[in-house]
Amino acid sequence: MPSPDAAPLIVAVDIGGTFTDVTLQDTATGEAWTAKTPSTPRDPSEAFITGVHLALAAAGRQPQAIGRVLHGTTVATNLILEGKTAPTALLTTAGFRHVLEIGRADLPRRDNLWAWVKPRRPVPPALVFEAAGRIASDGSELAPLDEAAVRDAARAARAAGVSAIAVCLLHAFANPSHERRALAILAEEAPGLALTASVDVFPVVREYERSMATVLNAAVMPAISTYIARLEARLTEAGIAAPLLLMKSNGGVAGARAIRRAPAQTALSGPAAGVVGARAVAASAGVADIITVDIGGTSADICLIAKGEIGLTQTGRVGPWPLSLPMVDMVTIGAGGGSLARVGSDGVLTVGPQSAGADPGPASYGRGGLEPTVTDAHVVLGHLPPALLGGRMALDRALAEAAVQRVAEPLGLEIAEAARGILAIADNTMVGAIRVVSVERGHDPREFVLVPFGGAGPLHGCAIAELLGITRVLVPPAPGVLCAQGLLAADLKAEFARSVAEPLDRADLLRLEDVFASLEKEAATWFAQEGVTATDQRMRRVALMRYEEQGHELPIAWQPGDEPARLGAAFAAAHRALYGFDLPEVAVEVVTLRVEAAGLLPAPARREPFGGDAAQAAIGRQRILLRSGAVEATVIDRGRLGIGATFAGPAIVTQLDATTLVGPGWTATVDPSGALMLARG
Amino acid sequence: MTRCDPVTLEIIRGAARAAQAEMEALLERTAMSAFIREKKDFYTALFDADGAMAVGSDLPIFGDIVGPVAEHFPIATMHEGDLYWYNDCYGSRGAVSHSNDQVFLAPAFHEGRRIGFVMGWAHFSDIGGLRPGSISPDATDHFQEGIIIPPVRLMRDGETNTDLLRTFWRNSRFPTQSQGDTRALMAAVRLGERRLVDMADRFGPDVLSDAFAQLLSRTEATVRAQLKSIFPVGTTRFADTIDSDGQGSAPLTLRLALTRTPDDRFIFDATETDDQAAGPVNLLMHPDVPGMALGLYVLQDHPGQVLNAGGPRAIDEVRLREGSLLAPRAPAPLGLRGLTMMRLLAAMHGLVAVARGGEAPAAHSAYVVIALRGTADGKRFLLSDGIGVGYGARPFADGTDAVYFVAQENYPVEFMELTYPVRLRAYGLNLDSGGPGRFRGGCGVVREFEVLADEAMVAIRIDSVKNPPWGVAGGMNGGSGRAVLNPGTPRERILAPLSDGTMLGKGDVLRIETGGGGGWGHPFDRPVADVLADVRGGFVSNDSAARDYGVVIRDGTPDTTATEARRAQRPPAGLFHRREYRDAVA
Repeated sequence: MPSPDAAPLIVAVDIGGTFTDVTLQDTATGEAWTAKTPSTPRDPSEAFITGVHLALAAAGRQPQAIGRVLHGTTVATNLILEGKTAPTALLTTAGFRHVLEIGRADLPRRDNLWAWVKPRRPVPPALVFEAAGRIASDGSELAPLDEAAVRDAARAARAAGVSAIAVCLLHAFANPSHERRALAILAEEAPGLALTASVDVFPVVREYERSMATVLNAAVMPAISTYIARLEARLTEAGIAAPLLLMKSNGGVAGARAIRRAPAQTALSGPAAGVVGARAVAASAGVADIITVDIGGTSADICLIAKGEIGLTQTGRVGPWPLSLPMVDMVTIGAGGGSLARVGSDGVLTVGPQSAGADPGPASYGRGGLEPTVTDAHVVLGHLPPALLGGRMALDRALAEAAVQRVAEPLGLEIAEAARGILAIADNTMVGAIRVVSVERGHDPREFVLVPFGGAGPLHGCAIAELLGITRVLVPPAPGVLCAQGLLAADLKAEFARSVAEPLDRADLLRLEDVFASLEKEAATWFAQEGVTATDQRMRRVALMRYEEQGHELPIAWQPGDEPARLGAAFAAAHRALYGFDLPEVAVEVVTLRVEAAGLLPAPARREPFGGDAAQAAIGRQRILLRSGAVEATVIDRGRLGIGATFAGPAIVTQLDATTLVGPGWTATVDPSGALMLARG
Repeated sequence: MTRCDPVTLEIIRGAARAAQAEMEALLERTAMSAFIREKKDFYTALFDADGAMAVGSDLPIFGDIVGPVAEHFPIATMHEGDLYWYNDCYGSRGAVSHSNDQVFLAPAFHEGRRIGFVMGWAHFSDIGGLRPGSISPDATDHFQEGIIIPPVRLMRDGETNTDLLRTFWRNSRFPTQSQGDTRALMAAVRLGERRLVDMADRFGPDVLSDAFAQLLSRTEATVRAQLKSIFPVGTTRFADTIDSDGQGSAPLTLRLALTRTPDDRFIFDATETDDQAAGPVNLLMHPDVPGMALGLYVLQDHPGQVLNAGGPRAIDEVRLREGSLLAPRAPAPLGLRGLTMMRLLAAMHGLVAVARGGEAPAAHSAYVVIALRGTADGKRFLLSDGIGVGYGARPFADGTDAVYFVAQENYPVEFMELTYPVRLRAYGLNLDSGGPGRFRGGCGVVREFEVLADEAMVAIRIDSVKNPPWGVAGGMNGGSGRAVLNPGTPRERILAPLSDGTMLGKGDVLRIETGGGGGWGHPFDRPVADVLADVRGGFVSNDSAARDYGVVIRDGTPDTTATEARRAQRPPAGLFHRREYRDAVA
C-alpha cells in the first residue's frame, strides 16, 4: 500500500438507486469534500469515476494523491433480490438433487399455509447435477468421487448455457478433497465459467443453507467480476493506482481479489457500511451502546451494538434465502418512507410492506403517486420543509393531504389524526423489531442511545425512542450519507472458523490449540494477501459454545492458556445475561472455533469544528400538528449549527441529506464530534 | 369502557406479534430437543383477561387453552407470578390432543388487575410411555403414551414447585433434554408475560382489553362473512377415509356436514363419523377446532386479521358423537392424531369444494414421522424424523412440494449424520407423487436411511396410502407413500405404513416415500412449458406427462404434433378424483 505521506487521500464511493455519493478525505488533516452525481444504473462505474473526479476537483487535488479507494456495492444484493443472477448450475452429491427444492421443508411461521407459494429457486432443478462419492461426517472418505460424472455434469451445464457452476458436496466442511477435485475437473471441462466450491464460501454444517450460499455466490460471480474489472479499469485510466477495497456484509472491507472469489460476502455491503458509520459517529461522541435504525425508502435496518462491538450472525437472509455467511447481526423490516398506508375491506389500517418505490414515490413528490405513504404523513403534519435536497425537490402538501384523505375517510378520522396513525403504525413496527433484536442479544433497549440515520431515520428518532423508553438520540452529522462515513471508518476483516464439537470439561486442549494455530495461519496468509503490516494486524480467538444438545451457540472470547473452568463460567454468565437462566447440571460443548482477523487501516485525523449558536442557525418557523394541537416549530439549518449550540424541541433541523424532527420535550445539543445529541426529560 | 381506536388496534396487534416473535426466538435459542430447536415444533399465544385466545398462531389445532386450568384454579384466585401447566388431553377436552405437547400458561397482571394470559406450547420428545418418543402405533391405551400432567400450578407467587418438575423429568428417557426444554418454555412464558404488562403500561389496561375484544369480534365477523359467501343455505356434506389405525380398525371415515340455516347460523356436525379406533389415530377434537380450521382457510385473503377464538365463535354449534373417531372415550390412545387432523383439514376444503363447485384447494397428504430408537456407542438414542409431504394444488397455484407443516423444519442430512447413527443415501422429491392438474399437486419426498447402529427399532407412520389425497375440479389424486426395507435387494420388503416394533440391524436400508398433494383443474390445460419443466426437474416422468398431461416428450423436448393429437382426446373430468373421477370421495 502506498505510504500515507505520498498518498494521503482516501475516497469512499456509495452508489444508491438515485445518486452516487463520493466522500474524499485527507487523512492528515481530516478535511473532507463530498460530491453527488446521478447514478448510472446501466454502468455504475461511470457515475463512480465521475463522482471521484468531481470530489478531486472540489478539493483541488490530483488523482495520484489517492491512497485508498473504498466502495460499498449493492450489485450482488440487487441481482439476488430481483432474481437477475446469471444462469447457474449446481453439482451436488448423488441422491440429493432436490436439495434446493426441498430446503427446510417448512413455510414461514407468519404465512398462511393455504396461501403461501414457494419462491422460485435461483437454480432450477434441471440444472442440478449429481456425482457419486461420499465423505462421512467425520471427514473420512466412504466412496471415491465419480470423476466421470463431474465431467458429464460440466458438459451438460455448458450445453445448457450456464455462466457459473457451484459445487456443494455433503460434509465438505469436514474434508474438502472431493470439492477441490471436482473444481479442478470443472476448470478443465468448462474453462471460462465462474466456478465456486462451498468450502471456499463458508464451510459450515447444514447442506441446504451451504448449497444456497454457494449457489448465490456462483450466480453473482460473473456480474461482480465484470463490475470490479470495470471499476479497476476506470481507476487505472484516471491515474489512480490505489487498491480498491469493498465493504463486506461483516462490516469490514476486503481487496477486490478476495471479493471476486466470494462476492456473496457483499450481500449486505450497504447496510453494513451504515452500521459501521453509526458506530464511528457514536464512538467520536463517546457513546458505545447504541441501537441503529437506518430508514430508507422501502425498508428499515435495525442493529444493536453493545460496548462498541458489532455482532455477527451466520443465520442472516437475503430476500427469501438463508445466507449463512458472517454478517452484521441486523434485522430488516418492510417499513420506510415510501411504505404505503392502506385500509383493507375489513377496515384494517396497514402500513407497508408494499412501497411506492422510487417511481412514482410518495404522493407529495408530485410524480403521479396517489396512495399515501409515510413521507406523505410527515408532510401533512408539517415535519418536512417545503422542499428537500437543498431546495431541488419541492413537496406538494395538497397532494399529500389528498392521499392521506384516502385512508382517513373510511376510518372516520381527521386528516391529521390519520397521518399520526400512519406514523404510529410505522414506528410500532420498528419498535417491535428493536425489541426482538434486543432480546436476542439479551439487552434492555432503555440503556442504549438510539442512532437514527438514512434519509428518513431522523424524522422518527424521537418517536421511536419515546416508545422504547430511550432518553438519548444521536443524529449523525450527515445521516443521509452515513454509508460513506462507514467506508472511511472500516478496517479489513475476515473470519476463519472450524467445527470441532468437543465437550468442554473433557476437551482436548492441545487439539483445540492446534486448530486455533492453523486458523491463525490461514489468517496470516490472508494478511499477506491484503498487504497488512505486522503492526496493523489484530487477531481474536473465539469459541462458539452451547449447552449439550442446544441448537444455538454463544461466542465466548478465548484467552491464551484458557482453562475449561473459566470458559464454562464465562459461558454460563453469558447465557444468564441473554436468556435469564443457566443450567449448572448440564455439560457445555465447544462447537466451533473462530479466529477473527482485522487489518487496521489508518483513521483520518479529526477536523477542528467551528462555532455558531442556535439563534444564528434558525432560518424560519413552521407549523406542525401535534396531537395536542398546532404549534410553531423553529426551522434550523444544520450547516450553521456550531459545536455546543443548544435548542429545545419542537424543532425541524434541515440539511441536504436528511431532516431531523426534534420532538416537544427534547433538547438538542451539538456534540463536539459534530453529531446532534437529543435528550429528553 | 375506554374504546381502542383503529390505529391503536393495529399497533396493539403489531406489539402482540412482536411479543410472540420474542418468545419464539428465546425458545429456539435455548431449547434442547431437536424436536423444538431444529424442527421448531412450538407455538405461542396471548389471551384476554377472561382467557379467550386473542392472538394465536396460524395453526388450526388449538382449543380452549385457559378453561381447563380455570376449572381447577378459578381465575379469580390466580396471582401475579403464577405459572400453570398441563398436557392432559382428556382433562382438557382436546385443548391438547396428544400428551407430548406441553402447555405452559401464565396470567399477567397490571397494577394488581388481571389483563390476560400468555401461552407457550411445545412438543417434548419423550415423556415416558410404551416406547421411546412416547408415541407408538402399537399403543392401545392412552396411559401408554407418557406421563399425564393434569392442570397444575407449577409456580405460585414466583416460587417454582421443583418437586413437580423432578417428577416429570424422572419420567423421561432423556431427562436432560426435558429439563432444558422445560426451562426454555418457562423463560419464554415469563418474557411474554412481561411484554403483555408493557402493553398495558403503554396503552392502558382498558384500551388493551377493548383491543383484544375487537380483535376477537373482527375475526369472528370476517370468518362469518366469508363462510356466508362460500356456503349456500342448506347442508353441505363431505366425507373422507383414513387408511387404518394400524390395529385392524379400517376403514375409518370422517363424515362432515356444515349447515347454514335460513337465519345464517352455522352448524358443524360430525356425528356420523365412524366409531373410535383401537389404535392411536383418535382425534380428541376440541369443539373450537372446526372454527379455527375454517378460519385459517378463509383468512388467507385477510393478512391484517389474526387467527384467534373469534374463528370458533363464527360457528354457532358443533355436534360431535361421543365414542366416535373425533370424540373418543378415555382411555382411547391418541398419539397419532396428527394423521386424522391432517385428513380433517383436507375434508374442510372438501366442504368448500362441494359448495363452490371446485374452487378450493385439493387434498394434501398427512405428514410422515418415523421413529428410530436403539443404542449406539453405549448411549440410548431416539431419532424422530418428521418428513414432508406434498400439499394440494390450488385454483391459483401449484401445491407446495415437501412441506411438513407451518414453520416446522426438517433435519438436515448433515445434522442427522452428525447426531444419529444413520447415513442418508438419498433425499429428494418423490417422482410423480404430485397429483396431475392444471395446477400440479405438490410432490412428496424420498428419504433413504442406512442404519449404522447394531440394532434399532423403527416405528412407521404413513397415511393416505390406500386413499390417496383427492384432486379437484378436474385435477387428479396425488401419489401414495410407502416404507420399503432394503429396496432392490433380495431382502426387500414393504413395511406396514402404520407399524412399530420392526427391528433393523447395521447395514439395513430403509426407504421412505411420502405422498403428494392432489391436482387442481384438468391436467390437459397445464401449459406444455410447465409440464416440460416438471419433467426436466424430476417432478413428473415422461410416462405421466404423456398419460396424464397429454404432453409427449421425446429426447427431452416436446413433440408438438403428438401432443396436439393426444390433447385432442381429452378425457372427461369430474368434481373429485381418487383413482377415477367421482362426485364424492367417500
